Amino acid sequence: MTRRQLDIGIVLSTTGSYAAVGRSMRAGADLAIAEVNADRQAGVTLHPVAVDPGGVQSAYGEAMQALLVDRGLTHVLGCYTSSSRKDVLPLFEKNDSLLWYPSHYEGFETSENVVYTGAAPNQHIIPLVRHLLCHHGKRGWLVGSNYIWAWENNRILREALSEVGGAVIGERYFPVGETDLRAVARQIVSDRPDFIFTTLIGNSCYEFFRLLRAEAAAAGIDQPRALPIASCSLSEAELPMIGDSAAGHLSSSVYFSTIRSEANDRFTAQWDRRYGHLGRACADAEAAYIAIHLLALAVAKAGSTGFADVRAALGGIRFAAPQGLVTVDPDNLHCCLRPRIGRSTDHGTFDILHEDPAPVWPDPYLVWASVGDIAPRQAPGHLRVVR
Amino acid sequence: MKGAITKNFRGLRALVIHAEDANRQMLVGVLGRLGLDVRSIDPQDPALPDALAGSDIVLADLVTEGLPPRTAPDALPCIALIGSEAPSQLARVVAQGCASHIMKPIRSSGVFTALLLAVNEHDQRRKADREIHSLRQRMAGRRIVTRAVLDLMLAHGLNHDDAYERLRLAAMNRRLPIDELAREHLARAPHAAEPSAHSWVPAEDRPDTPAPNRRMTR
Repeated sequence: MTRRQLDIGIVLSTTGSYAAVGRSMRAGADLAIAEVNADRQAGVTLHPVAVDPGGVQSAYGEAMQALLVDRGLTHVLGCYTSSSRKDVLPLFEKNDSLLWYPSHYEGFETSENVVYTGAAPNQHIIPLVRHLLCHHGKRGWLVGSNYIWAWENNRILREALSEVGGAVIGERYFPVGETDLRAVARQIVSDRPDFIFTTLIGNSCYEFFRLLRAEAAAAGIDQPRALPIASCSLSEAELPMIGDSAAGHLSSSVYFSTIRSEANDRFTAQWDRRYGHLGRACADAEAAYIAIHLLALAVAKAGSTGFADVRAALGGIRFAAPQGLVTVDPDNLHCCLRPRIGRSTDHGTFDILHEDPAPVWPDPYLVWASVGDIAPRQAPGHLRVVR
Repeated sequence: MKGAITKNFRGLRALVIHAEDANRQMLVGVLGRLGLDVRSIDPQDPALPDALAGSDIVLADLVTEGLPPRTAPDALPCIALIGSEAPSQLARVVAQGCASHIMKPIRSSGVFTALLLAVNEHDQRRKADREIHSLRQRMAGRRIVTRAVLDLMLAHGLNHDDAYERLRLAAMNRRLPIDELAREHLARAPHAAEPSAHSWVPAEDRPDTPAPNRRMTR
């Protein structure tokens, strides 16, 4: 088998407002590229061509234009926010190229030109809602940054709560970057909900964790126990930013650095050696790592690096990832991933409180998923539900 | 089919409510080529209400807040500019009553279709709204007529048909709608002013306290 050479674009914001996550994703990709290139059995050698959009929305389009049109690349790993992904999609469609999108997102999209290696909503928000209703109660307070990620997650949670006779005690949105959150923290402490669900991002989120902890303490309340905060995006990359209020928060994710498996031990050992300064490995880093490996496997299977060939080869490809076996769903190019619920610790990690028994098929339009389901549809290894 | 559809939008004042980006530039360009008089504004701009007041049609990003509701008398035809198909977003399109939409990224094709659908659908809705309004008025009038008929029956010992005929003739002679004449009659007949004075007229039939789900028989 001839070994192919492939230039792969990497468009991640390693500077700017969500640089912490961007640097972790970049590190996950670099780790996988090094592994693929060192593997004599691999069908391809990857040469990264990296551009840093600096968290600036318009820079993503310019970067993609440069990579896809000027350099003629076919494969780009990139984007974190949904708005940047939506912006660059037409460029990929126009140029018959594939975007490898390494982040969890709110769903309701299936592009022919995107491989989604992060969690779809049925793989993170639905399991979290289920966990909150089982263990914490039906009265929630919703705080978020004012954009689609928050609106959509809160919609799902609100509908789930009303289905089981629960209630949304309060719901507030703040501009991205807002840190004047003391009033809302005080309000929440006085309302005493069963749980708080936050879709705040970046600095707003870190400040909210600190303020709620302080306000609760002032009222004599043990916040992590009595007023737990839950999120679908809190990761190892962010825990160091929160400081001494980082422990005791719930997060729903398909990957935590504390997963016990041989594959994850290998992954985290390499990570800690090379990227320990970025915090522990996190879900978005693992998603980038998975994306690169899936690309290498698909190129080997297709015997080609072309868009149509790789795309066709992708369906059903399996990879033994740090989180466990990951399979690409040929219907929508999302991945079968395994939902987990973690609680943050003082050491920048999560204790895993719950793990689904097996990977769950992606359901980006929430056609099949429902909070009331006791057993979600499970991936290979179990019987697949016939559609 | 009656009435031709509107398909020329020359001079129509369009307001594009969207953040400044390539989508907005593309849309403004296409609308200009279609002969519209185009202005654009950011959804967060405090001058939005003033800009709306001088517009005939709105093309709005889903994040836009503060548009007049579709039932308001000053409602404008609205085209939704859709970037995300998440239900929380699409709920806003429904709530706003947008008659058509354009998917982002915006390209030149599809804009004319969206414009044509929005303008014509809006006209039809306004027509239907007016019809509903006039039907409601006529229905309210029926209650007045019934009260006047009852009043005549009681006051003059007439049967139902004779009482109605008397009202109808009087209305014809004075070239008035029958409900208007009935209203006049009731205003002049003090014993009919308070319908509950007749113990057998149910209180919930009083026009000022309409009961929900009542069946109207006439």
